[in-house]
Amino acid sequence: MRTVNKRRYFIRKLLNAVLTIVLVASFNFALFRILPGDPARLLLPKGKTDPAVIERQRKTFNLDKPMWQQFVFYWRDTIRGEFGMSFAEKRPVTEVVAERIWPTVLLVGVGTVFATILGMIMGVFAGWRRNGTFDVASTNLGMILYAMPTFWFGLLMIMLFATKLRWFPTGRMAEPGVELQGFAAFQSMLKHLFLPAFTFAIAYVGEYHLIMRSSITGVMKEDYALTARAKGLSENAVLWRHVVPNALLPTVTVVMMNLGFVMSGAILSESVFNWPGLGLLSYESMQKRDYPVMQAVFLVASIAVIIANLIADITYYYLDPRVQA
Amino acid sequence: MPRRFRNWVVVWGVVLWVVLELVTYPKDVSVGSGLSAVVKGFFSPTIAAYPAWVIAVAALACFAYGGISFARGSKARVMAALLLVEGAVLAVWSVLAGGGPGGWSAGANESTINWTLQTVAVVLAALCVWFWAVGNPERAELLTWNTHQVWRLYRANWQGMVGLVILVVFIAMALFAPFLADHALLDPNAQIRDPATGELFGPYHAPTPYYYNWFGTDQVGQSVLAQFIWSARISLMVGLLAAFMSTVLGAGIGILAGYVGGWQAEGWMRLTDVFLVLPWLPLAMVLAAAWGQNYWMIVLIIGITSWPGTARMVRSDTLRVRELQFIERAKAIGSSTAHVMKKHILPNVMPLIFANLVLVVAIAILSETTLSFLGLGDPLNFSWGTMLHYAWVNGAAGLPAWWYLLPPGIAIILVVLAFTFIGTAYDEVLDPKLRKREESTGESRFTARGEPAVAVAGGAGVGGSAGVFTPGVQTDDAMPDFDQPAGGSIGRPEGGGWVGGRIQDDEKGGE
Repeated sequence: MRTVNKRRYFIRKLLNAVLTIVLVASFNFALFRILPGDPARLLLPKGKTDPAVIERQRKTFNLDKPMWQQFVFYWRDTIRGEFGMSFAEKRPVTEVVAERIWPTVLLVGVGTVFATILGMIMGVFAGWRRNGTFDVASTNLGMILYAMPTFWFGLLMIMLFATKLRWFPTGRMAEPGVELQGFAAFQSMLKHLFLPAFTFAIAYVGEYHLIMRSSITGVMKEDYALTARAKGLSENAVLWRHVVPNALLPTVTVVMMNLGFVMSGAILSESVFNWPGLGLLSYESMQKRDYPVMQAVFLVASIAVIIANLIADITYYYLDPRVQA
Repeated sequence: MPRRFRNWVVVWGVVLWVVLELVTYPKDVSVGSGLSAVVKGFFSPTIAAYPAWVIAVAALACFAYGGISFARGSKARVMAALLLVEGAVLAVWSVLAGGGPGGWSAGANESTINWTLQTVAVVLAALCVWFWAVGNPERAELLTWNTHQVWRLYRANWQGMVGLVILVVFIAMALFAPFLADHALLDPNAQIRDPATGELFGPYHAPTPYYYNWFGTDQVGQSVLAQFIWSARISLMVGLLAAFMSTVLGAGIGILAGYVGGWQAEGWMRLTDVFLVLPWLPLAMVLAAAWGQNYWMIVLIIGITSWPGTARMVRSDTLRVRELQFIERAKAIGSSTAHVMKKHILPNVMPLIFANLVLVVAIAILSETTLSFLGLGDPLNFSWGTMLHYAWVNGAAGLPAWWYLLPPGIAIILVVLAFTFIGTAYDEVLDPKLRKREESTGESRFTARGEPAVAVAGGAGVGGSAGVFTPGVQTDDAMPDFDQPAGGSIGRPEGGGWVGGRIQDDEKGGE
């Protein structure tokens, strides 16, 4: 009986995700066609208005075909992973996007791990000693972090650590013109990574802290927390063995869900620090009005959200026994 | 009509007129131009600040509401008639402000007729409210009573009061910008001079005690203080308008999806889910890059990308309200779906919508700052985000020109915190359950903030029922609460309040 439920649960979630991807990809198709102006012209670099060129462009992008046929072609190309040529870089979009993915994954991964650990630990201590000095201080800090624009914090970081103290370099992933090998290269990359990853993480620390704190508070009111105390366990044992594991659940879910929405944070942190990832790519392509690249980045970002949702659902299934019932 | 209500209408009518006058106050009449010029500025016929289409939309809304009230035989007949007159005035005004066949640009024309029309429109609006109260004395009574109670509870919340004070300071700064800083200093060629030596300050000059140099100068030697003060206008206005638009969209779709049920609800929820997973910043960047850059477009973009959270929240509250007994009673005596949604669901989810609106404003202001920072803002007007954009691209962080970076950022943090505090405090005032809890530091809002994201997971699966997957919220919180009607819980004078009022209405109307 349970396996049937489990299979049905997963199939339903998977179907939902696929359906949403289809809808989002269709939206992506529509978005670049309902924009005012001739799509053929939108897909050309600024200034090129030669009618022959536009006509050729129309042919290459099948814009002269009826809408349903364009839709079919769009799907064929999307499934094949073809998004046309970037006119800023004169290379296939797929190539441009592919080489930018790993820096973003690195930045986002390091940033998320850092934000999760810091936010959760702060939240645990704040929730455990409610209304204590640490709680009041860290909660107010969390509120300020939540209200703070990420990129502004990034600029302050540059001002303080790169300009004033000169502790960290800024810009790109490595020193330009210097070829480093082995450990030295790794060290240099870590130095370049620190500020953008820290800026990226700070935006989420406040949120994770507040969620963890309220979740701890909720769990501490439960009967089993009282029981654990009543049977004479030490405070530490109650906190780490009984309260925290149960309180982790909502926080983990929110972390998972946020993983999908990292694109906004990545755009800001990468643009400010010139970190060559997808975020910087979307900023650059927006400045150059490089629509094929924007379209591809947009699709990648949307699919990331859906996949993160799916992973969150699956994780939740294993973490929360109530769902399995 | 209750006396306190009458006083309100008079006071708020005057306040509205003054605010509109300050918004449209001519930018070239600063405090330095003498008292008589300043007084004349108030009565000067400038109308540059509203685009014609906004006035046209207001005119259509007045026609529609007035017409419907009239056709339905509303109790406030005079109000309906006045609304039609107001609609006519606004229609004339929108044409004069630059609308009509020639185009719908932001008109910058001046005439005494425009000034008169604005004044007439405000007076008519006040009269409409007045005659609404004359037609519905019991509702006006209830409204004053409720507001009085809300204010009494709100005043006791120190966080809310701190937020309110911060907000009032910034709004005052935005409204009185013409008197605080000369708009001419925002001209690209208007470098400021040191009055003592008569020399230009030059680019990136550190702050000095001279008023316009309190915050130093920017990359071309302009006063940062002047930019800062005028930026407050765009940042606050875009934030408020975008949040209003997003809330109207979200609330409408949320109520529809929550009440109608069936395939229609499924469709609306599917749309909400799709919008919820669209990464908003890339989407907003695409739209802003394609639609051109002025602050009305930014309002539109933030409005249409930020509604799904509100929609989810309103929907789950609608699901709760529709299970309440008086809805069943209304349906039993044959009320139509539209009637139930308008007269029963909406008033009961309204307090939630309003509390949410305040929080959405905070998010909208941050969104505007983000878009402007990326260079997608209005190039003709300064906002705090635009200031940070210029500081960034001109390398203020590398100097370091802290005087250029700090003020806009701190202002954004303060305003966003203020709105968050106000929203949280208002929420606690409305929800007695929150008020009773010993924790009143606002984390309930933060749990709720994480909630819509998680609810995607839940909503997509289990027949669209939120609450199953909602973390941090106990399941019984999400259950219908039969003994405590939603908004009615604060404003219920003896014998019924909202709920009672509505039911009487039904028995008479029946529809």
